[in-house]
Amino acid sequence: MSAITLSNVTKRYGAVQVVHGVDLEIDKGEFVVLLGPSGCGKTTTLRMVAGLEDVTGGKLSIGGQVVNDVAPKDRGVAMVFQNYALYPHMTVRQNMEFALRPLKLGADEVERRINETAEILGLSELLARKPAQLSGGQRQRVAMGRAMVRTPDVFLFDEPLSNLDAKLRTQVRWEIGKLHQRLGTTVLYVTHDQVEAMTLADKIVIMRDGYVEQVGTPEEVYSNPKTSFVATFIGSPSMNMIDARITDGRIEADGFSHPVPTRFAGRVTEGQDVTIGIRPISIELAHADDERALPATVEVTEFLGNEALLDLRVGTHELVAEIPAEQRVPSGTKTHIRLNFDLAHFFDAGTGRSLNAE
Amino acid sequence: MAYIRKRNKKIFGIFLVPAMLVLFLTTIYPMLYAGYLSFRSYDLAKPFVPRVFVGWSNYREILTSSEFLHTLIVTAKLMAMTLSVQLVLGVGIALLVTQKLPGMGVARTLLLVPMMISPVIVGLVWLFLYFPELGYLNYFLSFLGVGAIPWITSTNWALWAIAIADIWQWTPFVMMGTAAAVQSLSPEPYEAAMIDGNSRWDVFTRVTLPQLKPVLVSLMFLRAIDAFKIYDIIFVLTKGGPGDTTEVLSLFIYRQSFTFWRMGVGAAASFVSLVIIVVLITLFFKSLNRDDYA
Amino acid sequence: MKHLKMALMGSAVAIGTTGSATAGDFDGVELKMLAIGDTSVTRLAPIVGEFEELTGAKVQIDMFPYPGLIDKIVIEASADNPSYQLMWVDSPWVGVLGESGALEDLTELVKRDAEEIHLDDIIPIQLQENTWQGRLLAFPASGMIWHQNYRKDLYEHPEEQAAFEAKYGYPLTPAQTWDQYIDIAEFFTRDAGEALAGEVLDKPFYGNAQAYSRVAGAITHDFFPIMRSFGGQYWDAETGLCAMDGEAALAAANVMKELVAFNPPDYLGLMWDIRTGYMERGETAQSSYWSVRTVRLTNPDEAVLPTIGEAGYAASPTGDGNPQPTMTGALSFAINSKATDTEKEAAWEFIKWGTSQDMMRRFAEEGSGVSQFHKSILSDPELQEKYPYYQVLLDTQENAQRRIFHPFYADVEEVFGVELNKFMAGETESAQEALTNACTKINTRLKVFPEDLRLRWINDAQAEIFD
Repeated sequence: MSAITLSNVTKRYGAVQVVHGVDLEIDKGEFVVLLGPSGCGKTTTLRMVAGLEDVTGGKLSIGGQVVNDVAPKDRGVAMVFQNYALYPHMTVRQNMEFALRPLKLGADEVERRINETAEILGLSELLARKPAQLSGGQRQRVAMGRAMVRTPDVFLFDEPLSNLDAKLRTQVRWEIGKLHQRLGTTVLYVTHDQVEAMTLADKIVIMRDGYVEQVGTPEEVYSNPKTSFVATFIGSPSMNMIDARITDGRIEADGFSHPVPTRFAGRVTEGQDVTIGIRPISIELAHADDERALPATVEVTEFLGNEALLDLRVGTHELVAEIPAEQRVPSGTKTHIRLNFDLAHFFDAGTGRSLNAE
Repeated sequence: MAYIRKRNKKIFGIFLVPAMLVLFLTTIYPMLYAGYLSFRSYDLAKPFVPRVFVGWSNYREILTSSEFLHTLIVTAKLMAMTLSVQLVLGVGIALLVTQKLPGMGVARTLLLVPMMISPVIVGLVWLFLYFPELGYLNYFLSFLGVGAIPWITSTNWALWAIAIADIWQWTPFVMMGTAAAVQSLSPEPYEAAMIDGNSRWDVFTRVTLPQLKPVLVSLMFLRAIDAFKIYDIIFVLTKGGPGDTTEVLSLFIYRQSFTFWRMGVGAAASFVSLVIIVVLITLFFKSLNRDDYA
Repeated sequence: MKHLKMALMGSAVAIGTTGSATAGDFDGVELKMLAIGDTSVTRLAPIVGEFEELTGAKVQIDMFPYPGLIDKIVIEASADNPSYQLMWVDSPWVGVLGESGALEDLTELVKRDAEEIHLDDIIPIQLQENTWQGRLLAFPASGMIWHQNYRKDLYEHPEEQAAFEAKYGYPLTPAQTWDQYIDIAEFFTRDAGEALAGEVLDKPFYGNAQAYSRVAGAITHDFFPIMRSFGGQYWDAETGLCAMDGEAALAAANVMKELVAFNPPDYLGLMWDIRTGYMERGETAQSSYWSVRTVRLTNPDEAVLPTIGEAGYAASPTGDGNPQPTMTGALSFAINSKATDTEKEAAWEFIKWGTSQDMMRRFAEEGSGVSQFHKSILSDPELQEKYPYYQVLLDTQENAQRRIFHPFYADVEEVFGVELNKFMAGETESAQEALTNACTKINTRLKVFPEDLRLRWINDAQAEIFD
């Protein structure tokens, strides 16, 4: 049985529709990440699940029960907010106690839960402190602790790491992952950071302008992006996109031409405008005499350790290549490159839909 | 560098002179003069009364007079009445107008009007409302079957009549300060409480009120200092009567100085009042400095 | 035509007397008067142009309410460069202003112009009222008597008469004693729905309206005349200290306390004008007050009563029914002693003009609220026909005594105002306690002065204008 089901869920503020018919199944214990740029409707979707926003249309179920008109407190969810949402005048202990008040537990049980949660999150020493006396990471852990003590069926996270610095973010991300493994609770997690999504999610839901673009495992969305948007959003550095047209069975782009790879035969039509997507890793340096080599100018070379990134100008195109660090050439070098069309993605330029095989 | 800084200091000093001069002429000099007067017998109306140094006798007279003690009690009573109602109403209205409901912006602006009016005018407005025979208040009450209440001429009602006028005028002040504080509260803790299922009462008493406390304490101190000096409304409505039921400290000072023309006694009473206000202000600043979230 | 008549009359005055100014004598002189906005001034203020035509002096009258006016006058009197050359003076202020030397001595001027001002025709007590240590410091512009007003129409109503006699065992006539006054007040106090003179009342009718407000000491202005009517004195003749807690004062305070039940519910707020308002609207059976407002009871434009009933007038009741001293009080004009000599001359001309017999007759004919103080006017049969209370004013002056004139009058007014008001409000247990409190406060302030000075302050020396 699904833990959460969204069927054709929409959200509208007056004339503005911000969420368009979202369909989503979340299994019990699954870690699902809503990913997308700001304004894509992911937070609104999460808040609808929490009950902080009304559902305009469609059906929202939690644990098999339709909850469109169920009060937040009766949905069995707990939420961790971007700004932690701690009660500034209460100690860590009081924050957790207050979250437990509606459950009307005995004093012993309250004490047990708080101590247990504090233990798990490493907050035991901080129980008597107020939020102002805690670091950002500690506050984040308190916010999680406050959600955890209630032992909800579903955890909702709203960009929980966005207020932390980079180093802390990695650490807390890791902690969240560990916590999920340990508790096994269903998680719905909103972020705009693809790294968080890729590392944490069992399933990623990529949203754009209120629509779901693709739902899939991290691998699926990386390897088989269904749209050019997903293709560019997932993966770092972003996939290179080159406008082209199918002419006489060849891919004709500004400055170069290439036969349509056999696996796309029948998927493209003569005269079709397409977008070629090539991940930086699929671009390699080539010899000038290679017949498929394209002349390129290295504008900037970025050394990353194992790899190097080359910002290339190829005719009118600006491309990024990721190559082994030892092959790198200095900025300003005129060289040649080869695009690995075997690993390329093709998208219809008009609809953005992938032309690759399913 | 050091030279310029030194010179700048001098220039700053020069710019300060006019302000200091105004401060001296309008505040410090009159205060010093009042201090001087408070040790003298000085009857402005009767030049034939000797104008001499009398030591502490003006102070002794005030501090041992039951009249003065009575005015302190009335002032305290009035403060308790107005402040408590202003606190409850101010917070209540603030919570209401900070809701995202239609018309609240207009309501908030309208609610500020009483504050903008000079207290004398407020007194006059309420005088018309309270007037026993022709007042609007009794006129409206008559529809509710309530007989004419001699608002400002009854010993039971007069202090309340004044309190009501003051509450009408100054609740908006408490409301405005509270509303600003309410709006600066971050909304997420409320959403967290909503999801956790905390009751409205719990949220109000355990989340909202504690966070508003520092602001409310400040507002109450400011009101207390003001209420301690209340004068205009009473002067217009009851002049301290009936009997001495609304005789507050500032009226006592006024009467000593400008009815009996005993400037020395009036000045001494002003100084006693000043001491009380200074104590209030000190407590106020102490409360400001306390870090409530520490 | 009227204007011409006035001009002729004015010039007749100017030519026919000695020591008087003629047109243009005071060209360029500007006088300002600090005055009350009440009947003794309001009628005169609009016609000061006539005075300018006569003498060339320009007069501006600034009018203020009675409460607070003495404060303005005191401040004006203590200023070295006065803005006001003329001042309106209530006779009790003569002491403080006289002892301060604020007012110009008018004694010699009055003697010089005795004929012109018809000194013989002025009721002597009204002049005495304005003296300090025998010197005349102000000149009466309105001469008051405290007397009672009643509903003549109700008193003469047969049913009411019969009912009253049945209940109290004596006929219903204007009260001669305070006991009767209280009986009558009780008798006529009726709720809405009850009958009065055969008609059902749609709102309550009160037996009495007196001033009980403490504002500006209003209550003392009714209390002291009642105290006086019991034969009471302000001061102890031996010590010069407060005697207003004696038998008569107690009796007066208790009379007022007993009358509370028959007064309107807002009695504690009743100021002079509110109290007379009840009488003028015909909402009370009786009300005693100063004669400045009595004229309104005869004028349907100013009062409702003449339309729905009729006012009757009588002397104030007394303790035992025998004619005890009534109380006078003069509303007067005075000259600031710090004015220049020319201004003083012009100011005296103005006072003479504004208080002259002719002017007073003119006011009487117009129905102005000035309380007349010329014998010839009060006894004029034609005017008496129009203003039946004139005879009461004339008669009562025989037994009249002057009001308080002590330099500490403001203290007395305020302290007794508060203490009496507290007693009436029930905040003080007994009249004795209230009056003793008040006297103690006054005496504390007086005891710092030597006894001979205190005795001088209460000494009512005969006005030297009659020497």
